[in-house]
Amino acid sequence: MKTLLETHQVSKFFGGLTAVNKVDLVVPEQAIASIIGPNGAGKTTLFNCISGFYKPEKGTILFKGKSINGLATNQIADRGISRTYQNIRLFPSMTAIENIMVGQTPHLMTNWLEAVFNTPRFRDEEKTSIEEGIRLLKYVSLTGLGDNLALNLPYGAQRRLEIARALANKPSLLLLDEPTAGMNPQETEVMTRFIRRLRDELGITIILIEHDMRVVMGISDQITVLDYGIKIAEGNPSQIQSNPRVIEAYLGPGAAALSEKYQRQRHTTDA
Amino acid sequence: MIATNLRNGVRTGITFAVIIIFLILIGFTITGAALVAKIFGIQVAQSALPDVSMLAVFIGLIGFFAGTSAAKPRDSDLFLGALISGLAAGLACGLISALFAYILSTLYAGGVDMRNYLSSVSPDSVKFLVFNLDPLSGSLILFGILTASGLLGGFIARIYRSEGRRAIFARINQGWGIVLGQSTIKSIRASRWVRYLLLGLVLLVLAILPAQWGTYWNYVMGTVGIYVILGLGLNIIVGLAGQLVLGYVAFFAIGAYTVALLNAPQPHNLMWGFWIALFLAVVLSALAGILVGLPILSLRGDYLAIVTLGLGEIMRILLKSDAATPLFGGPAGIQNIAGPVIFGKSFSTDVDFMYLIIIGVLLAIFVTQRVQNSRTGRAWVSIREDETVSKATGVDTFRSKLLALALGAAFAGMGGALFAVRNQFTGPEDHVLMVSINVLALVIVGGMGSIPGVILGSFVLKGLPEILREVENYRMLVFGALLVVMMIIRPEGIWPARRPHLEKQGGQELEKPPEEVATDPVKEDLA
Repeated sequence: MKTLLETHQVSKFFGGLTAVNKVDLVVPEQAIASIIGPNGAGKTTLFNCISGFYKPEKGTILFKGKSINGLATNQIADRGISRTYQNIRLFPSMTAIENIMVGQTPHLMTNWLEAVFNTPRFRDEEKTSIEEGIRLLKYVSLTGLGDNLALNLPYGAQRRLEIARALANKPSLLLLDEPTAGMNPQETEVMTRFIRRLRDELGITIILIEHDMRVVMGISDQITVLDYGIKIAEGNPSQIQSNPRVIEAYLGPGAAALSEKYQRQRHTTDA
Repeated sequence: MIATNLRNGVRTGITFAVIIIFLILIGFTITGAALVAKIFGIQVAQSALPDVSMLAVFIGLIGFFAGTSAAKPRDSDLFLGALISGLAAGLACGLISALFAYILSTLYAGGVDMRNYLSSVSPDSVKFLVFNLDPLSGSLILFGILTASGLLGGFIARIYRSEGRRAIFARINQGWGIVLGQSTIKSIRASRWVRYLLLGLVLLVLAILPAQWGTYWNYVMGTVGIYVILGLGLNIIVGLAGQLVLGYVAFFAIGAYTVALLNAPQPHNLMWGFWIALFLAVVLSALAGILVGLPILSLRGDYLAIVTLGLGEIMRILLKSDAATPLFGGPAGIQNIAGPVIFGKSFSTDVDFMYLIIIGVLLAIFVTQRVQNSRTGRAWVSIREDETVSKATGVDTFRSKLLALALGAAFAGMGGALFAVRNQFTGPEDHVLMVSINVLALVIVGGMGSIPGVILGSFVLKGLPEILREVENYRMLVFGALLVVMMIIRPEGIWPARRPHLEKQGGQELEKPPEEVATDPVKEDLA
């Protein structure tokens, strides 16, 4: 399968702290890739490097085979990478549909003078923009709530609106930072199915950071585990589940041995 | 529950007491009573005092407002709660005001003349304040009126709650609906013809009024108009794009001086004509906006405010400096700026300039309205809301901010040009920091990002002080107090901005509903 995103030896330092250390990541097209790891492992920092919030000190990031190192965040959005945020960051005093319409920016062509003279091109674009907004509202089940201010929407709706705003850019790569944070099991279930739908119906490649292992194991094609900024494991869900380094990273040294012992015990009792 | 009501009431009561004390200090009680008398159609001779009953009504009105605002349906779901809030407001307000009146009148009775310290507090006004009675009984009456009217205010507020109001409007609508048919009403309201008709009416009024007003009113309203233009410009920068620029007066100065230097006999005697100068004023201000913006717009918040603050002062000092006198005319300013000439007719009267300003205001409103409802306007607001995220969603924030600054500066340039040509004079002292602050204040008081808000703000902050000539000495005091009260009572502004309802509008414009997404699993799951 073709590679969409490739990071090569990416490193990011904060003063003396190495937040991301020589991380290689290869994400094929139309994959759902997860990045997991304990708190402070550098997952969000890696996200911020990919979406241009941070400039990595070392290494290269290739998107569709071209380097996106050092580009500004808006240029990266232009290239087709959208993202959501760990703590929801909508434009609170704008309506839901306006939030989505701001997300369409990379595809809008008219300038302010055309708006002043209300040219046919401007009117057309405005009309399509609204239609597209309504369509996306429907896609994330917010039909009828489009004229509410974003800050007045309930939590789950805000999460979905943030995804709709990211989708408005018609991205080929979507970065989701803890999309199910703060959700109950049912809502998490719905969100998980929704993420899979994004890939299956829209053909979007998705990288997500997630703490809920049921979500991660359920939808990921590939999982990358970070610990102290270093990639310690990579593979499909079953490989990761049985990887001793991953278990130790999460539960502390010695945990892997215990786990193996426990597994063996269970094996013998089962037999 | 009751404690909350009490607290609300007392708090509102104290606020209103402060307002009353303030009015007493500026000697407004007599003017207020005279105003009430005028409303009732009672003639009051020029030098004579109005009847004390008018004062009672005036004070009663204030108490009534205290009561109604205390009994806002926030916490007072209970009928009793509203009454308690109103009563508490009235009591608190009455107690403080009466005490103040008592002290003041006792002092006067004791022979202390407060006029040494407060020039507006005349013996007459103090005597009038206690209803021409002795201090004690006068104060008691004051207390009684405020308490009673506060209670009445609470009572009325409870009856006339927002649901009640809606019901009344619904009934009125129903009444019209019976006459015209319900659907007709809807189509009339939605029809653009109604909007055009209203617009036409406003234009007609604007066309007729200046010729009817005298010189004084044209002058006052001209100032208001210029400040509307300035306000709309700063509204783009601060209200929409959220960039706190404090040196706005610099662009105003560039506009004014461009017209002045190109059209006055001193110091250059160029005489290029007003229209070319106006055009150049707008273009140069916009260019200045871009030039200034390039290095500083990457700054955020407080830093931007400080840098631009310096910018305004640099401009004024530059214009004032002796070294630049041959170039800019120095501290004395530039006199005898030639007026515009159109079709051989030269503008000379205030009425002519008023029309010119009205056209300028309409142009500014038109441009703002069009741009703020486009992708550009939405990009500005998104920058105001969260600049980092806005950029990551694809908005070129730097260019957007630069455009906002250039457009805002162009408005300021136009305002400055009109200001200079109307006054036929401009000098460094026309371009002090206070102009920037005034414009910023009117944007905030009116409502950030709201066109009607800016217009109302200009009337309140520039029109009212001109009208209230009586309080000349206390103008800045009123100004400050108004800002404080305003920000406490209504921090979002007199007429806050409302976001357009694009989903509804889009849904109506679509002939067929948007293409169906095959299934809607999220909704199914949620159900």
